[in-house]
Amino acid sequence: MSSQFKQTFVMIRANLGSLPRRAWISLSMVLSVALVVSVLIGFLSMAKGFETALASAGSASVAIIFGGGTNQEIGSDIPPEMIRNLKASKGDTGIARDANGDLIVSRETLVPVDVRRLADGADQALALRGMDPAGPSLRDGAALSGGRLFAPGSREIVVGKRIASEFAGFDIGDKVRLGPLDWTVAGHFAAGGSAFESEIWADMEAVQSAFDRQGQVQTVRVRLDGPAGLKTLQAVLAASSGTPIVAMPEVDFYVSQSERISSLIRLFGWPIALLMAIGATAGALNTMMSSVSDRSVEIATVRTLGFSRFAAFSATWVEAMLMSLVGTCTGAIASWLVFNGWQASTLGANNTQMAFQLSVTTDLMLQASLLGLAIGIVGGALPAFAATRLPLASALRNSG
Amino acid sequence: MTITAQEAEPYIELNGVRKGFKFGTEGISIFSDLNLSIARGDFVAVMGPSGSGKSTLLNILSGIDSPDAGKVRIGKSHLDRMGESARSSWRAHNMGIVFQFYNLLPMLNTAQNVELPLLLKPLTRRQRSARVDTVLDLVGLNGRQKQYPNRMSGGQQQRVGIARAIVADPGLLLCDEPTGDLDRKSANDILEMLGFLNRELNKTIVMVTHDPEAARFARRTLHLDKGTFIEQGMDSQ
Ligand SMILES: Nc1ncnc2c1ncn2[C@@H]1O[C@H](COP(=O)(O)OP(=O)(O)OP(=O)(O)O)[C@@H](O)[C@H]1O
Ligand SMILES: [Mg+2]
Repeated sequence: MSSQFKQTFVMIRANLGSLPRRAWISLSMVLSVALVVSVLIGFLSMAKGFETALASAGSASVAIIFGGGTNQEIGSDIPPEMIRNLKASKGDTGIARDANGDLIVSRETLVPVDVRRLADGADQALALRGMDPAGPSLRDGAALSGGRLFAPGSREIVVGKRIASEFAGFDIGDKVRLGPLDWTVAGHFAAGGSAFESEIWADMEAVQSAFDRQGQVQTVRVRLDGPAGLKTLQAVLAASSGTPIVAMPEVDFYVSQSERISSLIRLFGWPIALLMAIGATAGALNTMMSSVSDRSVEIATVRTLGFSRFAAFSATWVEAMLMSLVGTCTGAIASWLVFNGWQASTLGANNTQMAFQLSVTTDLMLQASLLGLAIGIVGGALPAFAATRLPLASALRNSG
Repeated sequence: MTITAQEAEPYIELNGVRKGFKFGTEGISIFSDLNLSIARGDFVAVMGPSGSGKSTLLNILSGIDSPDAGKVRIGKSHLDRMGESARSSWRAHNMGIVFQFYNLLPMLNTAQNVELPLLLKPLTRRQRSARVDTVLDLVGLNGRQKQYPNRMSGGQQQRVGIARAIVADPGLLLCDEPTGDLDRKSANDILEMLGFLNRELNKTIVMVTHDPEAARFARRTLHLDKGTFIEQGMDSQ
């Protein structure tokens, strides 16, 4: 071991031994680092959880057709003749057919409806989705968990499990007022916690007439006929229509949806965490400056014995880094315990409520930890430098 | 002239040393032209009123402070021409320092405190601990290796301080009021010890003290007042 390391090592030991003398200010540094780390983990795990919820909703063998030059459900509009043409077509459209030889397609439209929540009595906007009878079968992860599907043409709904547990009056057989009319809950469905579970499904015609949207179709959902289906479908759509019509795999749609929202969450999260980190760095600087002045006699003593400036610098810096490390671990562990799996909900796509679980993954813990450690590295550097510049003669004058 | 130049040359030599401190815009002058020679193996007591610059003199000798002008030579080294880090490593190899308030590190035990100067040398752990044991034996603290400073009396702590000052076997000891904080009995023990180190181990010692009794242990006493020395040789009486 080189002499520099021996010097640094013994100074670190002396440093840490003297920590109890400045316990409170050191604790405040540890806690502020922990706070920054947990806030960042909170935001990032929210974004992550959101992505996970949406990504698991989509399937590669289902495509969504949008019209009107958008690839969002809101604002999309499918002209009725396009659907007629598609259904009438005898050739290969890229869409799978059922046992009767009919295309497996579901015309759909989304209507936001206000529903009162059990826990706090607040009104929340939920997504009511009108769909054709083939609609439920086009949700690969979803299955009935109780009751039955809505009957075609009737004002019945099936609701996601999450809604049933979170909102009042969604038991099977209950009557719920959605918009101007009452609807009967026919069944519940589960979809592995994905975004679908935050939706209410009903018959297409019933929704169109209840909300005065006759003939209005936002999107069409289709089952693709094998892996080449999407290409064929896109070619057919491009040839047959004047207005811009796009078809994209359902999984792509949800990923693009989640990207917008999760990047928005991150866009808020990072600046907040960074601002807090700047504050914490100022705090760390203050803590370490007082550590240097608290240890000034000891530093001056060993420097008088011939210890190097390097040792004074690195021992102070290491103290700062160790404290930020403790803070980082505290923050990471605490937020993992609190946030991981925590139920949250947010405005999902289409301005409707969507529930998801926060997901604290190792890579985002790592990101937050790097920020936490940076606080000690940056905040400790200047005090460490100050430790090397300590005027020995006057520091020793105060030793009495 | 049969004496060689080397023998004639004093071990420590201060020449025309000037030193002052600034208080804001005003400055005070401590020394304007200080001259001093100390022979190798001498034991010098420096006395003088408070504020006369005794500690400042020791700081200049140890190189933790530098003169505004003038020459400071110890052995072959010209401290006034050396940079801070050169003086720091020179100090580590050539002198031991004994402080009035011992300046032991409270979180290190006796052996660890004494070992500090040895960490600057290329010694193995074994060699270091053997050296530590030897000097602790010399100052009468054998068996107290594991004890912490706050469990010791002032006299014992100062003995640890002396052990630390001599563990790297320097030729020169600088002591700033080493007995200033001790009762008579402990003070005399410490002074005996310094006398022993001077006589038997041939350490050159410069000791600042307020205490005329302490000065009597020295071979030579210098009075510092108003920036100059007035000598009172004890031997010559
Ligand atoms: N680092 C410093 N900055 C400013 N003034 C200083 C500094 N060191 C010493 N002085 C001043 O220089 C003068 C001499 O100080 P010094 O400590 O050398 O005196 P001293 O003889 O050791 O006194 P004492 O017997 O009280 O220890 C004092 O007036 C002191 O205030
Ligand atoms: Mg003094």
